[in-house]
Amino acid sequence: MATAIINLEKRKINFFKLKKLIILALVNYLLLFKLAYCNERGKILSHVAGCYGCHTLNNKIPFSGGYEIKTKYGTLISPNITFDKINGIGKWNIEDFSKAIKLGISPDKKPYYPALPYKWYSNLNKKDIADIYYYLKSLPTSSIKQKPHNLKFPYNIRNLLWIRRMVEDKIFSSKRIKIKEKVETEGAYIVRTLAHCGACHSPRTFLSIIDNINDLSGNPRSSNKFNDGAPNISNNFKNGIGSWDSYDLVFFLKNGFKPNGDYVEGHMSLIIENGTSFLSENELKSVSKYLLSEYNN
Amino acid sequence: MLKIITILLLTICFICGNAFSQDAENIIKYRKNIMKALGNHISIIASNLKGKVEINSDILPHSKALFITLASIDINKTFPEGTSNNSGLNTKSLPNIWQEKKLFEESMINSTQKAEDLVAAAENNDKKAIGKALGALGKTCGNCHNKFREKKN
Repeated sequence: MATAIINLEKRKINFFKLKKLIILALVNYLLLFKLAYCNERGKILSHVAGCYGCHTLNNKIPFSGGYEIKTKYGTLISPNITFDKINGIGKWNIEDFSKAIKLGISPDKKPYYPALPYKWYSNLNKKDIADIYYYLKSLPTSSIKQKPHNLKFPYNIRNLLWIRRMVEDKIFSSKRIKIKEKVETEGAYIVRTLAHCGACHSPRTFLSIIDNINDLSGNPRSSNKFNDGAPNISNNFKNGIGSWDSYDLVFFLKNGFKPNGDYVEGHMSLIIENGTSFLSENELKSVSKYLLSEYNN
Repeated sequence: MLKIITILLLTICFICGNAFSQDAENIIKYRKNIMKALGNHISIIASNLKGKVEINSDILPHSKALFITLASIDINKTFPEGTSNNSGLNTKSLPNIWQEKKLFEESMINSTQKAEDLVAAAENNDKKAIGKALGALGKTCGNCHNKFREKKN
């Protein structure tokens, strides 16, 4: 009798142990699944937002910087944004990261050059920022040191950027009232914030400031020397992409072919390859719906 | 006498120059038509991939036409010297085509190989593979345009 009770107790203990193990395994599985999902989402976001495109020179060491952005003010060289503690962003917490990309200010309170499209990123949602941050954190680090920018005088004086920021803020606040009805669709978010289409496709004024980030009527090349222009992508039928339909736009942003069969030229081919082609079919449909809507005229 | 000879020589030069310019204009128009033809084949294939139309039986013949058109381009005849955008004629062909002719030829061969891959994918009637092959071909077109064609805007 006593032996039977002992066996029963042992079985009870085993059963509880087993139950515990199953729960633990399930929790682990769910956590891993969530982590994998976030990582995958972070990867897509980091591509669409241009982090990969601008911060990768050698695709074997992604995000290690060194990519040159040639402008009429000189050449900017992108920094290493892997989580290396010395030459990367390994010491940043998520607040530092968020502040850097949303405000364009580094953790040591230095302003970033506007090649970092912080004006667009300022509307990035918390979850997307976190997904990008943890994705970057999950990647191998690189100890490549950033080369200094090669800018002309006086643009090489970083502190002068504070003045530019003041002018920019003033222009932005005066124009804000003119911005038409606020559109809160997935497509609008991708175009206006995540993929920051206006950074290339919006007309620029004094000091290359963009006065209306929702105006996608194109930006002419500053000179023949620089391929820094971008075409009109408003829904205007004659000058923009108004003659395209949703099928054309989705296919273009996925594969780079225009409706006439010509392949996209210049930087946009890289934007598609490293960026928009990572969007899902549904996201691309939302983007084209927004771009072809009345809000983009 | 000297006057007559000079006038005659000038007239000959003018006629020859004009004839060359005419030839150059014609060849530029001709190669633009080839490029348009390539674009049209791609556009037809793409329309089926986009789902705009469902005439999938057209994908294979147009893939073949694309490959044959690319493979049969005679670079020396289609891109003769003196027909760059520096010639003052209506063309976007950059002088690099002639300065880096070997690279231009290699780019053309590369595109032709990718078009052959497209034909293989079309023969298997696998839309996903066709899309992938068309994308790969597009990249070679883009590389060539970025290097050898004057940018728009």
